[in-house]
Amino acid sequence: MEEDNSLPDQAIETYRLTKRFGNFTAADDVNLSAQKGEIYGFLGPNGAGKSTVIRMLCTLSLPTSGWAKVDGYDVVKRANEVRKRIGLVSEKLIMYPRLTALENLMFFGRLYHIERNALRKKSEELLEMVKLTPFKDKLVGGFSSGMRQRVNVIRAILHDPDILFLDEPTTGLDPQSTSFVRNLVRDLKRRGHTIVLTTHVMEEADELSDRISIIDHGKIVATDTPQGLKNKCGSNNLLEVFLDLTGRELRDSANERISMRAPMGRM
Amino acid sequence: MESITLEVAMNIARRDLLDLWRAKMLLFFFILMPLILMGMFGYLYPPVPQSNASTGSIGTAFPNLPVSLVQMDDGQAASSVAAQFIQVSQQQGLFRVSQAASYEIARSLLVAGKLKGIVVIPQGFSASLAAGQPATVQVTVDETNPTIAATVQSEIAAVFNIIGGGMSEQNISNLDPGVNPSFLIQPISITQIPLISGVASSFQFLAPGFMALTVITGSLQGVAAAISREKEQGTMDGLLAAPIPHQSIILGKVAAQTVRGLIQGFLILGLSMLLFGVRIYGSPIIMVIVMVLGTASFVGVGIIMTAVAPDQETAQMMTMLLQFPMMFLCGILFPIDQLPVWMQYIGKALPLYYAADALRKVIILNASLTIIMPDLLMLVVYTFITMIVAIPLFEKAMRR
Repeated sequence: MEEDNSLPDQAIETYRLTKRFGNFTAADDVNLSAQKGEIYGFLGPNGAGKSTVIRMLCTLSLPTSGWAKVDGYDVVKRANEVRKRIGLVSEKLIMYPRLTALENLMFFGRLYHIERNALRKKSEELLEMVKLTPFKDKLVGGFSSGMRQRVNVIRAILHDPDILFLDEPTTGLDPQSTSFVRNLVRDLKRRGHTIVLTTHVMEEADELSDRISIIDHGKIVATDTPQGLKNKCGSNNLLEVFLDLTGRELRDSANERISMRAPMGRM
Repeated sequence: MESITLEVAMNIARRDLLDLWRAKMLLFFFILMPLILMGMFGYLYPPVPQSNASTGSIGTAFPNLPVSLVQMDDGQAASSVAAQFIQVSQQQGLFRVSQAASYEIARSLLVAGKLKGIVVIPQGFSASLAAGQPATVQVTVDETNPTIAATVQSEIAAVFNIIGGGMSEQNISNLDPGVNPSFLIQPISITQIPLISGVASSFQFLAPGFMALTVITGSLQGVAAAISREKEQGTMDGLLAAPIPHQSIILGKVAAQTVRGLIQGFLILGLSMLLFGVRIYGSPIIMVIVMVLGTASFVGVGIIMTAVAPDQETAQMMTMLLQFPMMFLCGILFPIDQLPVWMQYIGKALPLYYAADALRKVIILNASLTIIMPDLLMLVVYTFITMIVAIPLFEKAMRR
């Protein structure tokens, strides 16, 4: 596969994308390709390398080797073009607790050079959509985790990104907020956005994803449609497929990984 | 591109300041700490009233120290000198003089910490004077505290100078009434032309130093904390994933810190005027220039520390490690001339020394920009050197 071959209808493409922290390989020769307009499920046990790959795709981390393109732009050489086109909901909230909901949206929106009045209008619309209008002038620090995540998600789509990265967006949320996030994901797909979704909830992945990649120990172990994966493993349950592919035992190697990674100051 | 960078930086700065404004407790302690330190050190080194030769007054930083007088000679001259010693000491407010029957008793009181010094008028004192020979008094001081020991020693000497001076005058008049005794005893006398009006209190020395300290350690700590907090909190990802130049993030943090440093610096100055009677003789605009350059000079070091430290706690420890010795090395608490020469070199290698020096000259001596230019140049040089190292390190650390 040569660099020039990337097809214009591919939202994401990686070739032998690798990230090492010291002598620990967090992502190992990862090849991915997500079509424009699809929901791409990205699954794997804790510490398997999902977030590492997503951080590289979002230009937050530099690959050790290999390359990645987002919307046709190289994440290293054309980082700024990539940044204009992506939205990110990461494991940690991207939100200032001492700012109000509206102030947070206005602050992050201005980073995308959205004109102030248009930005305010858009922010208020989105706050209305997530039913937070009565709380728009309250400090986010006082919000429940569901409310925070709702603000966090609309923060990521303020600038209408072509590609949205959702790293475990429903973890720790109540059923109401979870269902809101899922509906939003479907709605964004309908409007032509590409979504990369990581989750530990298998039925969520099954229900939403057009295609799924499963990563384990930094390597992609399978990529297919949810149905395709189930057929391959002869199961009608994605959880079974997942456990078949990544093993049933608890991850005792996780400790070793954390100790190798923490001193690297991984953000 | 340039205007975009600036606009984004200003946005980031505005947000940082809003954040800080809403953390008022933190703001309060940031100002409280230097004020408490300044109060403590200001009272620890109280102002020394100037001695005045023409009125014969002796200044002291430690009034009314307990001293015992042991008179071993019963002669008339000895009694007269003893009486004069008590009178002069009390008049000048130098010593509270008690009398002891023997040196041993006085010594045990001194060892017990009840006395700071002993003056002994030995046997033969009067006889010696009567024979036209100089006489000697013996002095013992509490040597557990060198500062007090030196003070007591020199003050006892000063008192006997006055007493002896009186005796010389008497002797000279007896020999030749036509001669001015002062011409023989002290042909040259000193009067001081004050550099500034009023009494120079220790606070006058401390306040500019603490302003500089607050500004510089603020820039060191503030920027380091701001960046590492955002890194840990996750919001730094939001900034880094946005289509903005990364320099504008640094610029924004620095701008916010500069505003914060200026506010803190002037609050400290204002409060020390109010609480400790500090007076300003120089231009506030030049003070602003010094403080802005002071902030800039150490921002780079803060960034380097965040880039090197794995987390916020470590970054904070590292800044503390730098901050604490700087107080002593850079002449904030006392003039660095009191330090050994090699330590003075270390102090002079740190920007805090130049910021404090410049602020002191401006505030106390009304120095012009030209006079403090060497200080300012050092701050500029520091800014450039640290930034050249810091920016690529920041970039690398953030995208690890």
